[in-house]
Amino acid sequence: MDLLKRLAWTAAAAFLAAGTASAAWAESAADRAVKEAQKYKGQTITIVWEAGLQSLDPLNFSGPLWEKLTGIKIKVVEVQTAEMFTKIMQEYRAGTGAYDALNVIPAWMPDLAGAGALEVLDPYVAKYGYADELQKIAATYRDNQMMVDGKIYGFPDDGDVFVMYYRKDIFADPKVQEAFKAKAGRELTVPKTWKEFGETGKALSDILGPDRYGAGFFRQPPYTMYMFQERFRNEGGKFFDAASMKAAINSDVGVKVLTEMRAENKFMPPGVEQWGFVENLAAFMSGQTAMTISWPPYGRWAAGYGMDEKALSWVPKSTIAGKVGYAMPPGGHPELAAGFALSVASTSKNKDAAYLFIQWLNSEDISLQRVKLPTALRDPFRESHFTDAGYLALWPDAKDYLAALQAGSKTGLLDLSLLQTDKYEEVLRQSISKLWAGDDPKTILDAAAAEWDAITKKIGVDKQKAVYANWASKSGAYPQ
Amino acid sequence: MNGADSLDWNGVLHNRPSRMPDRFFKYWILVPAVFLLLLIGLFPLIYSLLVSFQQITMTDYDTSFVGFVNYAALFEDLRLWQSILHTLIITAIALPVELLLGLAMAQLFLEKIPGRQIFISLIVLPTVISPIVAGATWRLLFDQSYGPVNQIIGWFTGTNVVLLWTITPKLVYPAIIICEIWQWTPFMFLILLAALSNVDKSLTEAAELDGAGFWRTFFKIVLPAIWPVMAIAILIRGVDLVRTFDVIWALTSGGPGTMTETISIYTYVQGFRQFESSYTAAIAFLIVALMTMIVTWAIRRMGLAQ
Repeated sequence: MDLLKRLAWTAAAAFLAAGTASAAWAESAADRAVKEAQKYKGQTITIVWEAGLQSLDPLNFSGPLWEKLTGIKIKVVEVQTAEMFTKIMQEYRAGTGAYDALNVIPAWMPDLAGAGALEVLDPYVAKYGYADELQKIAATYRDNQMMVDGKIYGFPDDGDVFVMYYRKDIFADPKVQEAFKAKAGRELTVPKTWKEFGETGKALSDILGPDRYGAGFFRQPPYTMYMFQERFRNEGGKFFDAASMKAAINSDVGVKVLTEMRAENKFMPPGVEQWGFVENLAAFMSGQTAMTISWPPYGRWAAGYGMDEKALSWVPKSTIAGKVGYAMPPGGHPELAAGFALSVASTSKNKDAAYLFIQWLNSEDISLQRVKLPTALRDPFRESHFTDAGYLALWPDAKDYLAALQAGSKTGLLDLSLLQTDKYEEVLRQSISKLWAGDDPKTILDAAAAEWDAITKKIGVDKQKAVYANWASKSGAYPQ
Repeated sequence: MNGADSLDWNGVLHNRPSRMPDRFFKYWILVPAVFLLLLIGLFPLIYSLLVSFQQITMTDYDTSFVGFVNYAALFEDLRLWQSILHTLIITAIALPVELLLGLAMAQLFLEKIPGRQIFISLIVLPTVISPIVAGATWRLLFDQSYGPVNQIIGWFTGTNVVLLWTITPKLVYPAIIICEIWQWTPFMFLILLAALSNVDKSLTEAAELDGAGFWRTFFKIVLPAIWPVMAIAILIRGVDLVRTFDVIWALTSGGPGTMTETISIYTYVQGFRQFESSYTAAIAFLIVALMTMIVTWAIRRMGLAQ
């Protein structure tokens, strides 16, 4: 009888415990983070964030809201993108514990994780019940930008992806269509291959000229480096020979890509080689160019979203609102250029509080609010962001915009991510600047391949080969 | 009662042996300051020297000593020697031009002209601007889409000119040198104006009365008089040009490729982009050695040590 009683009590206790647990997991990851974080009331979390528009999110929205909910203050350390890796590593090496949470470009993760600068997040994800919501991040970001050697080091938090923007009014104009058909011998369509892009861009420049052009791109080396990575792989190129780890960028594909890139400049506005993010934006917003490729904010700003915000006063006024179409760049596999993941610094003295802050930021509820901030530059990265009714209603063509981002999230290509990635990227940046200076593409790429090989040799061929194999095995490394 | 004596609480005089002789006291009070200076100045130098014999990179924990490996690598590093060559090219062109322009302007402003003080203040303005701001400003001025430089050239030629100052190999050096000259000629001007103002006028007037022309007076009287100051100005600007970083970084970032990469830019890239701490330390010591040799030679040659 005693045994029966004991069993009954045990069953009841188990039932109650299960009920409590399920009730606990029923609350959202954001609510759970807030509840747990209230234990750390009065503490301050220091987070590294990209300087400029990006940091308006924690400064004006998420930071003050988190403090209101939990009593934890957020101190934002604004750092230029180019200096972020250095700052994070310097503080880590010095062991200052100056940073608690970090914004990390996913391509840096092997280096930062390998050095020990990032906290492994798996135990925290389990402890604070974030696994389910983490799974709802769009597959490309979740599967490719979160882990190193099977461990979670950061939460993908920014759906950076290249999108092709085109003037749908020009593409739909019967006169332009007729003139294009006469010139190109085919119907005017949004280009799906780089060959089509070259033909369309040139023909449109001829038709719309002399002051309007078929296309314009940012051509400064840091941006073009990403475009090269994208085009090279869309055309079938491989960065390395997987067996020997010899650089393979000087293949025929590489030469073709560089040759075509330079040829395209001829039908773009004069001086396009000097264009950065803002110059390209200004040209597209003013109606000077009919096609361009860039990150998602272009699409929002071109539609006029958020343009009454003071922080965006520097953005050229859009003359093309309602006239912009969104598509995948030629080749169909856009570069997931840069992006950001949220991490916890391994030297933080407030790891739990720092973790809870990034879980809250990254959660379904809060991230949706953050990607809709007109001033911030975080782009949709969760499945729920792409289908949110509120986002879809932000401007008339938001549905098409989100559809393009969602398509990109399915087919996007990862930035090359190895040990000491920046050394390889620097070679690419220099190669691009040599290309604009007029050097021969084959010579440029042979020199670049030799430099890549020297870097690999210095790091250790086998060591780098293993990292490359891991990277190349990811779904977004090469077009599937 | 002398310095070694003292009174006890009861007013009894005791003879106390001196712990330090008076003649050394002045040195002892200097010790903290000297120690501090050595700590600040010498410690980093010694530490850097130590690092240059190690294998430290920011992404690796291996800090083992590797002897002269980093120094040996310097001799095989073509990019390093090219960067030194680029530095010398910029110095060799910018320095004489700045000197001559500064001297000419100083000569001009020796005369009492209306609004002289205002003009001098305006001329000196570029020098007080941060070099990185100057570089960024010139980048905008040279911009094809928004910059006035190409527009002005276009007015003269009557056509739209496309000159990519920060990209085209033939134009990148002129762009850098124009910016350097714009910013630092006023420095030369100011120093040389002060030097020229102090030249004894009775000597130049006497030369004039004796029938000496302008150039003869200048080379025989003025130049020897201002030479010590001019030599210092050349030395300061020469060293400055060798260290030049900001302007070029803002204008070309060392490109196209590494075509305008100076030694400072290369060192920065190695140290803070590629995180090759030990190799960067070796480069730093190479620069220190080269600069010490050049400056010592220059000081002797210019007679500044006399």
